[in-house]
Amino acid sequence: MKRLVSLVVVFILLPVSAAWATELDELLEQSREAAYTAEQIISCSTPDGVRDAVVRIAQSNGEIRMTSTVAGDIEVSSGDGGWTLSRRGGVISSASVDSEEMTPVEPLYVVEDAGSAHFLGRVATVHQLIRDGVLRAELVFDDETGALVTATTFTTSGDTYCERRFVSFDPTDPVFETPDLLEAEALQPRSEVETLLPESVGGFDRLDIYEDEEGLRFAYYSDGFFSFAVFETPTTVALPDANPIQFGEGVYQRSFTAGQVTYVWETRSGGMALLGDLPPDLHESVLATLPPPEDPGILRRLWRSLFG
Amino acid sequence: MTHPSEMISAYLDGELIEYETSELLSHLVTCGRCSADLVEMQSVRAAVRSLPILELPAGLLPDTEAAVVPIHRNRGVWVGAAAAAVALIIAIASIVTPPPASISADDLSSRFGARASLDPAFSPAKVVVPVLGDLSE
Repeated sequence: MKRLVSLVVVFILLPVSAAWATELDELLEQSREAAYTAEQIISCSTPDGVRDAVVRIAQSNGEIRMTSTVAGDIEVSSGDGGWTLSRRGGVISSASVDSEEMTPVEPLYVVEDAGSAHFLGRVATVHQLIRDGVLRAELVFDDETGALVTATTFTTSGDTYCERRFVSFDPTDPVFETPDLLEAEALQPRSEVETLLPESVGGFDRLDIYEDEEGLRFAYYSDGFFSFAVFETPTTVALPDANPIQFGEGVYQRSFTAGQVTYVWETRSGGMALLGDLPPDLHESVLATLPPPEDPGILRRLWRSLFG
Repeated sequence: MTHPSEMISAYLDGELIEYETSELLSHLVTCGRCSADLVEMQSVRAAVRSLPILELPAGLLPDTEAAVVPIHRNRGVWVGAAAAAVALIIAIASIVTPPPASISADDLSSRFGARASLDPAFSPAKVVVPVLGDLSE
């Protein structure tokens, strides 16, 4: 009898979970399809202090272009597997990954409708993202366009990590003035790569892995909302304005920007780096499952300093 | 204090003033990497000091030449010492010189951004301000 009850419960709960799971995807998909221009304030309370920025965003056909106040006239174009950092039409950095064979993310968040709101004089709906019973994000979507106009992320203790809020919103399709500047050749996801990067990291699944011609490997991890990439590099990574931070016995270099954290550390075989939008309370558990910082030793340092 | 390799080297050379010595020792207590550096530097120096002083075998050099230029009797010692000094300089230089960082955080940001743009969750909630290195023109 107990088994029968359990089976019934499972069959009742399964479709409900699936409905919750698709709801987040649907909301975010709708937001990606919206066309608009906006100004967004990002403010993040990090262990190293507040990091904030004002970002001008233009979105159309799934492509986002943003200009940040961080470096004045720096523009980022992103979408469909491409990312270009440019200044006055000149490319500073560019990367591209292929969109084929993407592994779907196992849904982990429950989305709860938290009611209606008025935002910038428009009707909006508030949704809360809950994982393992803990509120991790609150998202506000513009009802008419589906655009995500406010996103607040929280730590497990309920403190606000980052708040992203539109301060102006124009729901008309923007015309991009500059052409697509993407220069990089697309990296293909690799199925068989010898790597130190584990398949699961602190509750995040490795979705895919890439390797370039120079032996730089990186894997992309996601839990369906937060995500990060872990890099395995043949040499060390330069990280400007980083602060040392110790977790366990390892010392890492860390830097926060508005919405992103970067860790770099040295290993015997080269360097490693982690970049992503992880809230600070998850950093230690994620880093603990990755190869730790190691002193490469005098001979390796000698070799690297002489031959790179 | 980050990893003060130059201070460690200066400490071993007895070139630090009292305050600097105290500061360095306090740092060494809490920094495994620098403590390891200190041990390695000490071992390199000890290894160099322990190199044997070689005497040239008798008759290796013609007596006449030895008589004209007496210092040549100890040429092996000088060559050995010079080689050891060069090795020491390279070893110390390799420690105090940071390893070449041919990969910038901007490059990694771009790759992360490219992959993140394929994420179903990619939206203004995922837009990140990249780490910007030296963008001076």
